[in-house]
Parts: sequence; C-alpha cells; structure tokens
Amino acid sequence: MTTAVKDNDTSLMERVNHLTRQARLAAAVFTQYSQEDVDRIVKAMTAAAIENVEKLARAACDETRMGLFEDKMLKNFVASEFHYHQIKDKKTVGIIREFPEDNMVEIAEPVGVILALSPVTNPTSTVIFKAMAAAKTRNSIIFSPHLMAADASNMAARVVYEAAIAAGAPKGFIGWVEKSSRLRRETELMMVHPEVDLIFATGGTGMVKAACSSGKPVLGVGSGNTPVYVHKSTNVRQAAMDIIISKTFDNGTECPSEQTLVVDREIAESLIEQFKEYGCHDCNEEETAKITETIIDARTGGMNYRMVGQPANLIAEKAGITVPPETKIILCEMKGDLRGNKLAVEKLMPVLSYVVVDSVEEGLNRALDINYGGGTGHTAGIFSEDEDVIEQFGTFINAGRIIVNSPTSIGGLGGIYNNLNTTLSFGCGTGGGNITTDNVGIKNLLNYKRVPRRKHFTLSFQTTKNIYINPGSIDHLRNIKTKRAFVVTSRSAARRGHLSMVLERLPQDCRVDVFSEVCEEPEWHTIEAALQVMKQSQPDTVIALGGGSVLDASKVMRLFHDYPDLKLQEIAFNFLDFRHRMAEFPKGVKTQLVAIPTTSGTGSEVTPFAVLKDSKSQRKLSLIDETLLPTVAIIDANLTKTLPRDITADTAFDALTHALEALVSTVASDYTDGLAFEAMRLIFEALPEVLKNPTNVVWRHKLHNASCLAGMAIGNASVGVNHALAHSLGGHYDVPHGRANGVFLVSTLEYNAQIPHKFMVQSCYPLWVADEKYARAAQFLGLDEDGKLAAVGKGEKPHKGNIKQLNLALRRAIYDLSAQCGQPMSIAELGISQEDFAAAMPDLVRGAFEDMAVKTNPAVPLFEDIKDLFINAYPPRQRP
Amino acid sequence: MTEKKKSKDSSIATKDVAQFRLPGPLVKSLDEVDKLLAAGSGDLNLDFSDCTFISVEGLEWLEEMLLRAQSKGVSISFSNVTPSVYKVFKVAHIDSVMGACGLPISGPVC
Ligand SMILES: [Fe+2]
Repeated sequence: MTTAVKDNDTSLMERVNHLTRQARLAAAVFTQYSQEDVDRIVKAMTAAAIENVEKLARAACDETRMGLFEDKMLKNFVASEFHYHQIKDKKTVGIIREFPEDNMVEIAEPVGVILALSPVTNPTSTVIFKAMAAAKTRNSIIFSPHLMAADASNMAARVVYEAAIAAGAPKGFIGWVEKSSRLRRETELMMVHPEVDLIFATGGTGMVKAACSSGKPVLGVGSGNTPVYVHKSTNVRQAAMDIIISKTFDNGTECPSEQTLVVDREIAESLIEQFKEYGCHDCNEEETAKITETIIDARTGGMNYRMVGQPANLIAEKAGITVPPETKIILCEMKGDLRGNKLAVEKLMPVLSYVVVDSVEEGLNRALDINYGGGTGHTAGIFSEDEDVIEQFGTFINAGRIIVNSPTSIGGLGGIYNNLNTTLSFGCGTGGGNITTDNVGIKNLLNYKRVPRRKHFTLSFQTTKNIYINPGSIDHLRNIKTKRAFVVTSRSAARRGHLSMVLERLPQDCRVDVFSEVCEEPEWHTIEAALQVMKQSQPDTVIALGGGSVLDASKVMRLFHDYPDLKLQEIAFNFLDFRHRMAEFPKGVKTQLVAIPTTSGTGSEVTPFAVLKDSKSQRKLSLIDETLLPTVAIIDANLTKTLPRDITADTAFDALTHALEALVSTVASDYTDGLAFEAMRLIFEALPEVLKNPTNVVWRHKLHNASCLAGMAIGNASVGVNHALAHSLGGHYDVPHGRANGVFLVSTLEYNAQIPHKFMVQSCYPLWVADEKYARAAQFLGLDEDGKLAAVGKGEKPHKGNIKQLNLALRRAIYDLSAQCGQPMSIAELGISQEDFAAAMPDLVRGAFEDMAVKTNPAVPLFEDIKDLFINAYPPRQRP
Repeated sequence: MTEKKKSKDSSIATKDVAQFRLPGPLVKSLDEVDKLLAAGSGDLNLDFSDCTFISVEGLEWLEEMLLRAQSKGVSISFSNVTPSVYKVFKVAHIDSVMGACGLPISGPVC
C-alpha cells in the first residue's frame, strides 16, 4: 500500500497502514455477517456503553474541562440507549426495503472502512454513537479523536470495541488513533489513504474542511447559529423553561442549541421576567458590552474558544459582572441592525442574545439574519401556537432541523422531544457544505443496491361496446334513443343515398341536424364549424356516416362538444410510451357516437384514434384515447355495395396492412392476434370476389367485417413501420392511404422478418417473434410453399427450418393478391418520377422516422433502414 | 475466477499437487497445512468447498502462509471458493490471496 503523501516519519505511516489494513480485513469479513449477528453485537455494545456512561462522562469532563458532567452522561445515554432503541429493529443486512408497487427491492452493501472524526465537545457520546452505527451497518470504523479529548474518546472506543468482540465482531473493526503530538498529521494521512472509503466528520471546521478536500466521500457537518423565534401566541412559561433546558445543556456545547432569540414585542417583557424568575441574568447595555468583549474573539469575530462550555457565573466573572453562582443563562439584548452585531454569532456557552421585533415579517427577517449569519442548513426553532406562522418559518428558514415548541439542542439530537433520528452528527445540506440535511446515522452508512424487476404492463382490450354486424343492421337506428341527433357525413355519402337511409330510420320525434362538410383529411376549422352548429342544436347523439375521415372528425366533434374548454394542443402530444401519454383527456363522454362506416378499410368505428390536420401548421395530429371510441358501430355491407372499385381495393389494402402490422406489433396480444388472423383470411378470400362482383353483398359483408376486425386489432395493438412510410408518402404526394400502404407491404414484411438491426426497447416485448408470427399467418391462411392458398400445414407450430419458407410464402401471397387486384406495388407505379422522388427523399425519410407508428414496430427502424425501405419500394416489384 | 490447478514453473509441472480440503469455516491457522508446507512435499491445492466463513484471523493466516510458501518456492492454489468467501477476498483485496485464486500475475485486473 502506498500513498502520495511525503512523510519522513515512516513509523507514523506504518501505524496508518496497519490501522487501515486491520479495518479493511474486518470490513471484508463483516460482509459475511447476518442481521442477527450484527444485532447481537450492537446490543452488547449498547450494554457496555450504558454500563460506562458515568465513567466516560467523567473522563470527558476531566480531559476537556468543558461542559457539564451530568449532561455528558445524558448524551452518552442518548448515543447508546436512545440510539439503540431507534436502530434495533432496523434492517441493515440483505434486503432492507421492498417496494411492492414498484416491483423493486433494496439490498444493503456496507460502505467499507470509515474514518470518523470526533469532536472535543462530545468526545465520548460521538464515539459510542458512530461505533454502534458502524457495527449495525457492518462497516469498520477508525476514530481520529480531537487532540484535547483523545484519551476520553479512545476510552469510549475501547469500551464498545471489547464488548463487540466478545459478541463475535470481526477483529479490528474499530480502531483509533492514539493521543500523540502527531495525531493531526496521522489523521491527515488517513484521510487520503486508499483503504479509507468514507470520512464521517464531526468536529471543528478545520478538520471538516480537510476531510472535504481529501477527495473521499464525506459525511460532514456545518457550523450552526440557531435562531429561535418566540411568537406572541406562545406560552411564555413553557418557552422560557424549554430554552433554559436547551441552552444550559452541557453548558451550551450542543451546536443545535439556541443562539439568538427573536421575540415579539407583545411578550418580550414577560418572557424576560420569566427567564429572570428561573435564574437567568438579563444584562444591561454596559454589561452586554463587557460580555461581548469576553466571549467574542476580536481577532476572528467568532466565539472565544476558551469560554466554550463554561458555566454562566464563570463567564460573568471573567467579564467583570457579579451574578449569583447558580445563574443559568446570561441574556444580552441586541439593538440596532443585527447584521453588524458582534453577538449575532454562534456561542457554545450559556450566553443567549435576543432581539425584540414588532411583527411576524420582522421576526422572520431577523431569524433569517441569524440563520444566514453562519448557520445555514443547521438548526432553527420556533415557539408558536399559530400554525400559519410555523409554516412560514419552516418555508423561509434554511435548516435541516426546525424544532417546534421544544428545546432545540436536545430536540435536535432526536428521540427525546420528537421523532427525529437520534444523532450526534447534524447534516446541514448544501447550506453547510454537506451532502445531506439528515440527522446522520445508519441510513447514511450504507450503499443501497436497488434491484428493480421488469415492469409488467396490464394489457387490456377495449373496443366499441355495441357492434351490429350484418347487412341491413342500419335498421338498428330505429331503436336508438335520441331526441336530438347530429349527423356528420360527406357530400359523397349524401350522393350515394346513404344519408336518406339514415334519416328515414331515425325516430319520428327526433330533431336532426346534418353536417356534410367533412372532406378527406379533415382540418380543425371543419371541426369548429360543426361545433358551432352543435352548440345551437345540443345533440344527444352524433351519427357518423362515411369513411375514415368522417368517423375521425366525428370523434373529435363529440369530444369537444362535451368538453368545450379542451385545448387541441394539450391532447395531441407525441409520445414514446403507448400507455403513459402526456396528453390528459377528460374521463368519459356523455353524447353517444354512432359510427356507420361506408368503406371497408380504416376500422375507425372501433378504434380510439383520430387523425386531424392542424390548419395552421398543416401537420397531422394524432389523438389517442378511450374517449374517442364510438358508442355504437353499425357494420352494414349494404352501404359499401356502391363503393367504386379503386376505393374498395385501396381501403381493403389498408385493412390488410392493419392486420399484418397489428400481428407483429410490440403490444400485440392473443386477443389482437386472433382478430388479425381472421381479418387477413377474410380479405384474401373476399377481396378478389368483391372486385369480380362488386354488388355481391355476401362478399362485401366479409370484407366489411375484415376491416372492422382489423380495426379492433390496431385499436389495441397499433400499427408499425409500414404505416409510417405510407403516412409520409401519402402526405407528400396525396396518395390514398390504403394505396400508399400497399406499395410498401412486401418489403416491410421482409424487413420485419429479419433479425432487427436494433431491437425495440419495450418492457412488454421480451421476445422478438415477428418472423414466427408471419409464419403463423401463412399457416393460418393455409398457404403452400409457393404462397398459393392450399390448406396445408395448418395449425402446426412453425419450426426453425420452415419459418423462412412460410415468410416467403406470405410475401408471395401478398404479391399475388396485389397483382390480382391491380393494386400498385411500387412507388413508380403511382406515377411519381424518379427525380421528384429523389428530391423528396430527405423529407419522406424524416416524416416516416418521426411517425408515431414506428413505436410499436417489432424492430427499431433506423434512419438508414427507412431510407432503404423507400428506395426498395420505388422500382416495380418482382414476385418474391 | 479460474480454479484450475496450475504451476507457474513448467519444470515443476510434473510435480504432484497435494490436495487439502478445508474442514469448515476458516477461523484460525490450520496446523495440517502448516505441516504440509513445512514438510516441503510440493505444491498444494486448498479446496474451499466446505468453507462458508472466514474470519480476520483466517485471512491473516492465509496471507502469512502464502508468504511462507512463496519463500519456499511452493505454489498454492485455492479451488471451489464459495461466493461469500470470494466476496471477502475481493473486499480485502490481498494480492497473494487473489493470486492463489488464479488471478493472472500481469495484465488487466478486475
Ligand atoms: Fe391505416
């Protein structure tokens, strides 16, 4: 072991090496100890300390000539007995905390070798406290005592160490630096020693500063300057008694003890009278000047260290004031601006300054003067019966401990007057240059190993509640409960006779308004126009009649009609997690929405999605929420009989894409899988027949159902990269959505079936199974190796060897279906020139890359992947 | 951790490696091992299978015994070190002990 420290005294370095090496071995051996082992050791240490409280208190007083023997005894009790009661049931070994809701546990890891500094003011209690805390947390600890208290401190260390060893503790886990003229040097060497893991510093500012610059993690303390606000609402007798208890405790050596009282004028006189009655001396101006001169070091402006912990009468005597020998506290009023007053500093002795104030505001400001005059982060106190004043005090004052209606010194120690953790080490936070404001203890002597388990999502399935599914089901409108209906549709629906079919079936007494201004890619201004009408008519039912655009627009109209104060921007956020979106939708809607699709494609009648174009930015806004789900869907194929051939094919390819993408989505479930499989089977079967015989309602019915089933699948599993590509291409070139989907299908299937360049980061997607699922789809469709429908291999689990074959078969089948339907399979076929396409490429790629649809794709489509997918989709395709 | 028995010097590779199985927790020096070492019968492998606890005294003995072995040119290796004892070795980071556990003499160390 070597250190960078130059030191001629090799024996000193040897001592340091020996101490730290012993501590290191003990720390290593300690890692094997169980909770029962350490609890037994701590109990034995406590018993030994309690047995020796008097002896140790006496030794401390004799060596330091500071403080009060009886109070030193009490502090030793606090450090041992109180401390023990607080930590005895605490877990410090193994799993110490469980967070069942977060599916996480915390396991304790000792910090290792602790170098502990102990102060002259609490030489024995600090050692007892820290040694017990170290044992409880299975750490080794080396004490570096204050030179003026080294024998007492080391005596305490020896007492608890011997008891611990007898109870089975590892040899050498407590060590101490012997009193010598080189004690400070030895401590400095230890501070930078590689075997020391943590410095637990309690002591003079110089030592704490040295510790902080050692480069080791430090649990330090800051200096105090406790202001105590005595508000007029308090009980003066109690305040006087508590303050006397606190300020006289160990002759004022406790750093959280009261330094300056801030007293409301209304009670100032009675409070001082009470102090006097209890044996305190209130100085006149002349006496105050003498006291100031005596207790303040003119050179440093701080307290005179020779007066620390001395009794009041002795201090008075030194100042040339005559007081009765049993005087408890010397009170000094401060007048004028506090900030220039020499007494407004920490005085670890029974001298207490006070200032009288005329309002709560002034009281808080004067308390802040004291607080920020050398005691930030440490301790403050307030006596008040007014909760509001207490809260204000707590808000403005910067102190790790804000003690209410009790003594601040013993209160700060914790355990006797309150439930603060018992400590002799007061963290002061950044205000005091520390890392914590805690009452430092066992909690701060552990490394916490968090063991989080993988998040489990509650997968759910939602869709439109009532779905009427056979041809002629539009008749259900006759049974709908409505007094005021608002029919949303497009001009073409009116033209095709669908509007009259609806109006004829609505109840006689129902007032009906019709809004037929929805066109492709509805914009926000269309919604606004409809909302104006709805405001007048106050519909109880919205009937959406048309294709995806009409259905999407109606969902938004219904929502904003129910919640007029909603802001579109606030519910149209981009998001990473499908389930935890930032957008906050209202809970529930009251107006019912009846969705009647007239195309077989989007499935919007059963999805919680709506796409809208923002009139200003011309960007597409995607809204997703349960409140967008229609209440009723009517899947009546009679309404699709007159659908033109090209729209029939385009929308069917949209539905097919929905099925294929929902199937491999990262949030797919058994529920959506079943829907996706059947939707694709129906499309393969019905689409060619429909195109051959467009008015055959039986095949139209199958196709219409397929679209709805696929809609339920994406409504819960969402889509993937194919939609991202189609959205981008369609937005740029005005290509119908389904057609845009169709040109990419064969290549995205091939892309998604390859082992991804980058796996998708999603807790709910632990297994990449895209290729297997496509294979299953091929099996479900009953495809032969060439992709022909030939019911073979159905139901068998695909095995490794045939997954590739089945994937190829699926791509061939899709190619064949496209060819059979005359559906374009490449971008070139859409009439887009190569030059134009090349020029648009950067925009196209960015558009798809930013599309939310990629977030549920089974592979992360990298920028380059998307570019390749676009390039591959351009030239006319060959059969795979 | 490698628990293969190996010799640092190929010239003594053919020497028999004596086996010694620790009887249980290692809390003090093991006279049998000290005797084997004193007898100079050759390289020695200590089997830690049954050693589920080691004390500071045990650690100190290991360190001192390994030093003795080294001065005699005897190679000592440890095998089947249990995780709880191996963790003690890791925290204590005694070079000679890690060496007996098969840590390479040079090169990156973890
Ligand atoms: Fe779509």
